[in-house]
Amino acid sequence: MVEMIKVSKIYPPQVRALVDVSLTINNGEMFFLTGASGAGKTTLLKLLCNMEVPTNGLVEVAGKDIQKLRGRALAKMRQKIGVAYQDFKLLLDRTAAENIAISMEVSYKKSAYIKKRVKNLLERLSLADKHDAITGELSRGEQQRVALARAVANSPPLILVDEPTGNLDAVTTEGVMTLLNACKNSGATVVIATHDESIFRDTTHRVMELRSGRLHLVREGAAL
Amino acid sequence: MNFWFAVFRQAGRNLRQTWPSQCMTLLTVSLSVLIFAFFFLVYTNMLGVGDKLGDDLRLIVYLEEEPGPELQEQLRRKILAFDEVEDIRFISRLQAYERFAAQLGDDSDVLADMPQDFLPASIEVVPLKNLRSLTQLKLFSEYLAKLPGTLKVQYGQDWIERFYYFIRLLSIVVFLSGGLLILTSVFMVSYTIRLTILARQAELELLKLVGATNNYIKTPFLMEGFLQGVLGSTLGLAALYVLFQWIRSNFSGPGFLAMFEFTFFKPPFLIAIIAISILLCTIGSYTSMQKFLRT
Repeated sequence: MVEMIKVSKIYPPQVRALVDVSLTINNGEMFFLTGASGAGKTTLLKLLCNMEVPTNGLVEVAGKDIQKLRGRALAKMRQKIGVAYQDFKLLLDRTAAENIAISMEVSYKKSAYIKKRVKNLLERLSLADKHDAITGELSRGEQQRVALARAVANSPPLILVDEPTGNLDAVTTEGVMTLLNACKNSGATVVIATHDESIFRDTTHRVMELRSGRLHLVREGAAL
Repeated sequence: MNFWFAVFRQAGRNLRQTWPSQCMTLLTVSLSVLIFAFFFLVYTNMLGVGDKLGDDLRLIVYLEEEPGPELQEQLRRKILAFDEVEDIRFISRLQAYERFAAQLGDDSDVLADMPQDFLPASIEVVPLKNLRSLTQLKLFSEYLAKLPGTLKVQYGQDWIERFYYFIRLLSIVVFLSGGLLILTSVFMVSYTIRLTILARQAELELLKLVGATNNYIKTPFLMEGFLQGVLGSTLGLAALYVLFQWIRSNFSGPGFLAMFEFTFFKPPFLIAIIAISILLCTIGSYTSMQKFLRT
């Protein structure tokens, strides 16, 4: 379970990215966070994976105050959170396969398992022919899918995805959403920040919107 | 995949990616070890030479006239009043003549026309080992010179003084080259690791974000420092050994150097130099890593 209680984030000098945000995301829920560019979606995701520190309030993941985790405990927690960043954070001089494998390597998964998992993810995201391609030579859409594959590769219980379909066509978008739904169905909590309405319009999941740093409910989700 | 496999692979990547600076550091560490070990080898050998010369060290007190048994006993008591000595030997004029003749060997006939008492009587004083510092020897020599009936005291003071000053200078050079070794090992390795970190900053940041532990990130760099220490010191010592063998084979003919037996470092000492180099290089690597992990 993810909990945010009266969380604010102010960037210097006085940019209020989030204001008193309180939010609970249940285990196994797929949650959509929408809002215009600059509304604070990325900031909220960064707070959930301890890339940013809140100015005020409490952020808990799996019952632990994520801001208080340090060293090994923080590393272990991050292994349980898969993040697909908006700027991808890929190693451009490595192959697509190596980029995906990295999240499994840090948790010492067996080599055979890593190879199999990487191959499987590349196939599911229509990147089977890019296994050995240097990531820097891939298109933006392909890089976005590699970043997504890395986020889900370690089968983390919490997946945070920032604008997963920004550079994708309709068919590939559908493939991405199928993969994220599969993760949700296998028990993962999936948080998707997007301003692409098409990916949540026909779903029954909860949708909330960030406006001027404040959170507003757009649609209640169906009971889990 | 286990921890060590991941660490070795990561260290391999680091080395591949930054091999030019790694080679420069390796060369610097090797040179530092070579310079330090060279001077230390000369120093230890000189100490050995000093010990060997010290075994033959004696103070010769030349006397105005040959002492009778009573005077001999008095002089012996006076000498022992300064400090314990290893041996005191009285050499009569005749004994001095015979020794000189024996030293001349086949040329002893040059003494044929000389009277057998033309050399002065003397006392040979062999000091204790602990009395062989230059200051102590000087004090002892001054004390002996003041004994009644003494003409002169000789112990090769000029030569011994020069030797002691040479050893002191050498110990300063060893100290300075040791300092050079410490500085180059720690700072060069530290800066090389910092360059590697800068070159791979994006990857290291990402590793943190995907949940790599500090040990996972840190250990490959520590291993690089360790390798620099092992390879650098081994290369430096190997170069010194080659140099040592070359000097021995080229200067082993008759001459001053042939008087002494020069030896290379004993294995425990070599291991100590390698271990210290490893420690210094690993410290250099560790400090860089700590700085990165704190940010």
